[in-house]
Amino acid sequence: MRNGTTLFLLAVTLLAFAACPPAPGAAPAALEPTDSGAPSAIVIFPVGAKPNPKAAAMAPVAFNHVVHEKWMTKNGKDCTVCHHTGDAVACTTCHTQEGKAEGGFVTLEKAMHATKIAPRKENTPASCVSCHEAQLARRECAGCHTTLVRNVRNEAWCAVCHTMTKSMTAADMQQGIAGTLPERRNEALATETELARAHADYWPATLAPYKVVIDSLVGKYEPCVFNHKSHVLSLMGRIKDNKLAGAFHTEPATLCVTCHHNSPPSATPPKCASCHSKTIDPAAPQRPALKAAFHLQCMSCHKDMKVARPRNTDCTTCHKLRAPERAANQAN
Amino acid sequence: MNRRKFLTILGSAGVVSALGSAKVAEASPASFPYFPDSYGVLHDTTRCIGCRRCEAACNAVNNLPKPEKPFTDLSVTETKRHTTAYEWTVVNKYEVNGKPYFRKLQCFHCNDPACASACFAKCFQKQPDGSVTYDGSQCVGCRYCMVACPFYVPGFQYDLAWDPLVQKCTFCEPRLKEGKLPGCVEACPVDALTFGRRSDLIKIARARMAENPGRYVDYLYGEYDAGGTAWMVLAPAAGGAPVPVDDPQGAGTEFKQLGLDTHLGSQPMGSLTYGALGAVPMIVAFWPVLFGGAWAMTKRREAMAKLEQEKIIKDAKDDLVAAVDAAVRKIGETEGEGAAERARQAMTEALKAREAQNSGGLNGHGEEK
Repeated sequence: MRNGTTLFLLAVTLLAFAACPPAPGAAPAALEPTDSGAPSAIVIFPVGAKPNPKAAAMAPVAFNHVVHEKWMTKNGKDCTVCHHTGDAVACTTCHTQEGKAEGGFVTLEKAMHATKIAPRKENTPASCVSCHEAQLARRECAGCHTTLVRNVRNEAWCAVCHTMTKSMTAADMQQGIAGTLPERRNEALATETELARAHADYWPATLAPYKVVIDSLVGKYEPCVFNHKSHVLSLMGRIKDNKLAGAFHTEPATLCVTCHHNSPPSATPPKCASCHSKTIDPAAPQRPALKAAFHLQCMSCHKDMKVARPRNTDCTTCHKLRAPERAANQAN
Repeated sequence: MNRRKFLTILGSAGVVSALGSAKVAEASPASFPYFPDSYGVLHDTTRCIGCRRCEAACNAVNNLPKPEKPFTDLSVTETKRHTTAYEWTVVNKYEVNGKPYFRKLQCFHCNDPACASACFAKCFQKQPDGSVTYDGSQCVGCRYCMVACPFYVPGFQYDLAWDPLVQKCTFCEPRLKEGKLPGCVEACPVDALTFGRRSDLIKIARARMAENPGRYVDYLYGEYDAGGTAWMVLAPAAGGAPVPVDDPQGAGTEFKQLGLDTHLGSQPMGSLTYGALGAVPMIVAFWPVLFGGAWAMTKRREAMAKLEQEKIIKDAKDDLVAAVDAAVRKIGETEGEGAAERARQAMTEALKAREAQNSGGLNGHGEEK
């Protein structure tokens, strides 16, 4: 047994070295192979027919084929979600920067980013963005992504996908745009980029208080004792194995800033009351007053994550009725 | 008579033309002044949780009678309740695109209120602060306001035998004057009710639509409905769900599903009746003078004609008597007294016979005397 394993490993290593001559400046380890036999990762270059001597284009995207293929299999889907024609060809075969007749003149940019795709009779294609955004409706994502977090389209968002390893040369890029980059080199670049992809570690729940006593509005009710830790752990736990969330949650404070919004990410964020006044602020009438801010924040997330209890109108589950009020209620 | 007919036609034509042109032209929405700084409330039904705190607060600040079921009983929201004389606001549950939502109902405080246009006692007033207030001191209890209101809001104190009044949301006008928020707005725990200047609220509503794509129907109920209302409503959209291909119209019925009438049009309800109702005071004041005058003139002319005729007849009679006297005197001078007496007698008899014959013959000739 031991001998067999050693021999096998040796053979694999030799084969790997034979297959991939060492790329300049990198010795790529391998990604898991795909079930279909397709490359585990490829770079999608902005292929175009127009002459582009300076290779001026958006950074290409390293596409982790194996991760996506596994997800499709796990969720009972097949290759035709992306390969919508049924042919297992690269996207850039039909969709280029300028668009081609065989791709219905749908440009590469549209094919990858369109979110409002007109339904077709057979197999409506999905773009990267449309499929990723559809995932936001998942229960573990919906709490933040339905109401509280708006889908921003800033540079950080683009850079999640449009990032390439430093070892890609200008010549690689030129060849990539022209569609003449050798497959092996393409896969090597993609693999290197994918392996270098580091996911941010969220700040641990212990960085924040265990319990937060919300007592700034005590009147009819006792203060609300908010279990901060269990909420953070619950949110983190639900998306622990979600690679998509891992890719797009680029900051350690990404989860924090959902509730602690509109202020820079910080382990000691300002109190809600520093912006939300007790009564509506005439200078900012669109900003909910403090009581509403608490309720809207808690309730919208609970509703979107389908947290059945407590119901929105079960006031005393979160904050007990104070003694005088209780007495008055009983007297009635 | 020709002249009378002519006068009647002339008078009617004058009234009709006055009614048709002047009054209808005046019946623009400007019949009520537009108050640019007036207040309103924005009701966001995507936020409302149906807790009935607004109802409880309304009841408390307005000293309304205690309801049968306590405000903590949320099952009442299942029935489509309406406002009454003692419940000035109600929150009901509605199914919108298969999901439960709550909507608060109260007086919408129209820019140009239909209740006020229907009230002939001027009990309703649109105030510069945006509220539509009711002063019951002149109220006759006709309940035209309840018929006129497109939202069926005013309630009537049917339980009072003596001096029942119409009751509805006052926009907490007394509280506004003290610088306080309306009771319901203050009580709302989720800011489903936002108080502010109506012009600001429209901007806030639009901003919410823009910042939360797919959350709201792109329509602000009350911005133009029924000529614009101070209280406006935002409705939840299907939430990114695809528009059903077989029923594209079904996507736009959220307000209907929320129980709001979307067919009120953008003109104030009163604009339908200002033309006709505006003519009423003029008819009351003008028609008696016109027709009374025509009647008096005709009557006077008739009286004058009669007097003249009587004078002519009297003169003729006097002439005849004088002629008889003269003839008798002449006979007396020439033939002696006896003959004169006989002649007078004969003449008197002849006259009498003639008069009798005349009156008998004239009976068939009607009014010619």
